Amino acid sequence: MSGFLERIAGKLKSYREPGYYTKLDHKWTMVIDLDKCNGCEACVVACYAENNLPVVGKEDCAKSRAFSWLRIERYVEGEYPDVKVKFIPVMCQQCMKAPCETGCPVYATYHNQDGLNVQVYNRCVGTFTCATYCTYDVRRFNWFTYKWPKPLEAQLNPDVSVREMGVMEKCTFCIQRIRSAKDKAKDEGKPVKDGDIKPACSQSCPTGAIYFGDLQDPESIVAKLAKSPRRYRLLEELNADPSVIYLKRVMGDGTTSHE
Amino acid sequence: MKKLILYAVVGGIAFIIGYFVNYQFFSDRAPVQPINFSHKIHAGDNQIPCQYCHIYAERSRVSGVPNVKRCMGCHQIIKTDSPEIQKVASYWDKKEPIPWVKVYNLPDHVYFPHKRHVRAGLDCKNCHGDVASMARIEKVSSLQMGWCLSCHSKKEVKNGSDCWTCHK
Repeated sequence: MSGFLERIAGKLKSYREPGYYTKLDHKWTMVIDLDKCNGCEACVVACYAENNLPVVGKEDCAKSRAFSWLRIERYVEGEYPDVKVKFIPVMCQQCMKAPCETGCPVYATYHNQDGLNVQVYNRCVGTFTCATYCTYDVRRFNWFTYKWPKPLEAQLNPDVSVREMGVMEKCTFCIQRIRSAKDKAKDEGKPVKDGDIKPACSQSCPTGAIYFGDLQDPESIVAKLAKSPRRYRLLEELNADPSVIYLKRVMGDGTTSHE
Repeated sequence: MKKLILYAVVGGIAFIIGYFVNYQFFSDRAPVQPINFSHKIHAGDNQIPCQYCHIYAERSRVSGVPNVKRCMGCHQIIKTDSPEIQKVASYWDKKEPIPWVKVYNLPDHVYFPHKRHVRAGLDCKNCHGDVASMARIEKVSSLQMGWCLSCHSKKEVKNGSDCWTCHK
């Protein structure tokens, strides 16, 4: 009996090792050029529309129940005439060594073969552990079963399920778009091309600040941008190995921000 | 004591009859359709291929219920005096779709493309059973996750057991 339990424990442990998937099919990566970001929040609106996010209203927002998978962080420096405003769009960083994955008691969040940190809504029991462990505060919890007022339920995206009460969720890198692009590529018998996939935020960005692609493909735009000297990642010292790469903003005097 | 046994036997028989009546006529397995359409006549006796009517199976996520136009394409000429066909004709005259009852119903959180499966060379029979011998369409597979996965693991589908391959 104890041998059996040990065997199961060993198996589960091996699944939980960060390098469980040593060879990934893809490594989806997002590069955000902060030099281009002007903080218009079009990406936030696009994310709401694409992923069936409910609008919770003022009171719930005040209780920190806001539902945006993608938020724009604002940093204002200096006094009025000489003011510097900096924006950072923050979504799930799809960490390769994700702290949230270690916490889930039911394995509702795990790493898949595309290097994505994915959330299984049906498995989630809502213990909130992952949100507590998350270093970037990007996980959102369904406190209620949100309803859409009458004509608005017709605009729900059929490719994304509508979540119910008690389920944790977060940015998926628009996995439904990744899936449909793969599907299309499979029909044509070709691998997924760079630029085939555009998440909603990237598609709607008016300045084109958000790039998306496969880091394993050396020809892809993200692989080239990832070598930029302006490159940095959020809270890199925590060693969670996030998949979202930011490019520093160059200020007027030649210095870079976000250091 | 004898009375008790009698009650038990009668009750048992009544239960079995009730169970079968329920199973045959009132379950979701083979619901009564608005028109007594027989797949046996169409797909069985007359050998019409599945995708003649379910045209989207090869190129879309859903296989598609044929529109009334497709029915009337043949039935303007064939067997116009049958009462069931006249029902189809009345829908056609009213310009209304036929309210077919869906039998193979997948939950909202499942992403199931017919296209992928048809193009992988899977026969319709594998999941839908021997439709050609069914007078009224009935559900033969459970459509549960274990049932899906048993085939995915048998055929060694790439990433076939990853949650986000089938869930959305």
